[in-house]
Amino acid sequence: MNDLDQLKHLLFGAEKQALDQIADRVERREVRTADVAEVLSEAIDRSYREDAEFVESLTQPVGDCLQRAFRDDPQTYGDALYPVMGPAIRKSIMHALRNFSQQINEAVEHSISPQGLKWRLQASRAGIPFGEYVLQKTMRYRVEQAYLISRDNGLLVGHVHHEASRIKDSDAVSAMFTAIQDFVKESFSPDRTGRLESADMGDFTLWAVHGPHALLVCVIRGVPPKSLRADLSAVLERIHFRYGDAIRQYKGDTATVPEVDVELERCLRFEAREESAKSGRLVPVWMIVLLLLLLAAVAFFGFRSWTHAQELNRLDDALSTAPGIHVTDIERDGGQFTVRGLRDPLAIRVDDIAASVDIPMERVTADMQPFQSLQPEIIVARAGRLFNKPDTVQFNVAGTTLVVRGTAPSSWKDRLQAGFGTLAGVNALDLSGLTDEVIAEPMSVPLPDSRQLLLDRLDVLNGRRFFFDEGVRFVAGDEKALSQYVAQLRDLQADAEEAAFSVSVTLVGSTDGSGDAARNVALAERRAVAAIEQLAAAGVTARLSARAADLGLDGDRREDLSLRYAQVDLELRESPESQ
Amino acid sequence: MTRLTSKVCVVGDFAVGKTSVVERFVSNHFSAKYLSTVGVKIDTKEIEQPAFDVTHKLVVWDVAGSDEFGDREFAYLRGASGYIFVVDGTRPRTIEAVETTQSQIGERFGAAPSVLLVNKRDLLAEWGVGDELFESLSASFDGAFRTSAKTGDDVDDAFARLAQLIVENELRGK
Repeated sequence: MNDLDQLKHLLFGAEKQALDQIADRVERREVRTADVAEVLSEAIDRSYREDAEFVESLTQPVGDCLQRAFRDDPQTYGDALYPVMGPAIRKSIMHALRNFSQQINEAVEHSISPQGLKWRLQASRAGIPFGEYVLQKTMRYRVEQAYLISRDNGLLVGHVHHEASRIKDSDAVSAMFTAIQDFVKESFSPDRTGRLESADMGDFTLWAVHGPHALLVCVIRGVPPKSLRADLSAVLERIHFRYGDAIRQYKGDTATVPEVDVELERCLRFEAREESAKSGRLVPVWMIVLLLLLLAAVAFFGFRSWTHAQELNRLDDALSTAPGIHVTDIERDGGQFTVRGLRDPLAIRVDDIAASVDIPMERVTADMQPFQSLQPEIIVARAGRLFNKPDTVQFNVAGTTLVVRGTAPSSWKDRLQAGFGTLAGVNALDLSGLTDEVIAEPMSVPLPDSRQLLLDRLDVLNGRRFFFDEGVRFVAGDEKALSQYVAQLRDLQADAEEAAFSVSVTLVGSTDGSGDAARNVALAERRAVAAIEQLAAAGVTARLSARAADLGLDGDRREDLSLRYAQVDLELRESPESQ
Repeated sequence: MTRLTSKVCVVGDFAVGKTSVVERFVSNHFSAKYLSTVGVKIDTKEIEQPAFDVTHKLVVWDVAGSDEFGDREFAYLRGASGYIFVVDGTRPRTIEAVETTQSQIGERFGAAPSVLLVNKRDLLAEWGVGDELFESLSASFDGAFRTSAKTGDDVDDAFARLAQLIVENELRGK
């Protein structure tokens, strides 16, 4: 050791020894470890109290450590957790069963009420089970108020509520809840670990969520879902994170927990809106109006349908009693009637019958096939028309006998006797009630007997009409009647020729007004021609005369079967040779 | 103005007039009818303390009377900022129960401001707490008052004194 070293030793020996010791502590790992271990717990404790981010910074590494430890040695940790697993599982199951029982009660309660029946229908329409639907409908709630209460002294740390909620002294409520909590815990929890977690009061449910320093008590209207508890716990955890120490030391000075109400207000956002009870109870005006309109429409259509049914009955009755008409079917389409069946050309028209029972003609369509009716009224009418019945004569039908009463010229009587055989439905003639009419014939030149006889026979056959239904088709029976008529006419012509006379035959065709004028003229001519052809086939020649203009050209557009005919006009002339 | 809320517990033997004292303080009302309190009854009253610029709300826990406190009763006292001990001036033996309770509270929850109300001052003919005894009792509390819930004498003063002590205590703790 030189002098310099000795001098250093003398001057700085003690310091150097201290420096060496420090260097030794820093360089030796085991010494450093011992030093850190000595202050570690104190350092952690201080950091936890003074550094707000301490817990946050430890969360991740501690979590990872736990995760790895559980993975590497599950048996050890399983054994360690075993004592707490059982109670935790039991508690969870009990909670679930309690909720389930509550839901079952709701379902049963609503299954027989009017509301239940309505929901049952709606569930059926929605295609989901009734129980599930009831749960959906009953899971309506709203957090009305939230109290944050110090666990240590029961003082109210914060309180929020909806505007409409009725609030009493929130400090007293907070204290009383704490008192009840203490009472329940001391009275019913032997190990004093039990907690009052919920209470029901009419429409409200109180839920308490417990934290280390405070409990969150929420007043909930309706039935909250189980998940709400987790949401409320999250709010309480957040509050503890921000105000944990302040709440732990809370002595009633709200300034120490600034803006805690802002955090609490998160609770008030938890709600599931129920359908507006008002709109559910009251029937909307539009629905009432719609209902009234519907009722009015039903009443209107019902009344109209009833009216039409009445009209149908009246029409049916009138048609069934009308002579010469046989109805097979009346079809009703709304207020329109279509009548199908048979109608004698001499019978009253269908639309006239409808009009007689107050049904407008335009609502009635007749689809009638012509036929020859043997009803007495029609026989009488036919006879009257066929024989040009004088007004002084009355016809009646008794069985198949045509009863004639009144007064008529003997020539007419003769003509009747000669021609009644062509009248369908008549086999005999009763002339006992007919008296001869005395006609003054001043200065008349008596006709030769042969001419008079011919005239009498001609009168019987003159003016006979044969009817058609459609076009040039004869009505049933008239074609046969025409052939009989032609035979009589041919005989007359033959007898007339022998007496130096001739019988000129003119066929007059006729139509009703249902077609246009040109068509009617053509049709009238064709009908006359059709009759002429029948006459010609039997050797009788006839002249053509179409007189459609008499009737068809009126253009009244009405169907009238009695005007669809061909008429045979006869005239007795002296033969040129005899003149 | 600072707002402060404090929990105050009213403690005492049966029928010393705890509920009547609280009712006189909170509602300025007295009922001669005796109704035994079951468990705890809670009321609140706000008082102004201009000296400290504080609006002070007292949450008064009127704990059911008992000659011996059990765990349930002590649970009600947890976290109290101050105590009102009430004894019956006509029944000096009620003092013993209060002294016992005060001692137990101190052991369980630590020191806190407290005042003693020797109640039923209106019944002077039956009064049994002499001046000497009253003075010795005063030394054990932060204040002692001869009160009458019936007439209202000194009731408000007693609560005001306790409130003041609580505020001072809180301010000291800050």
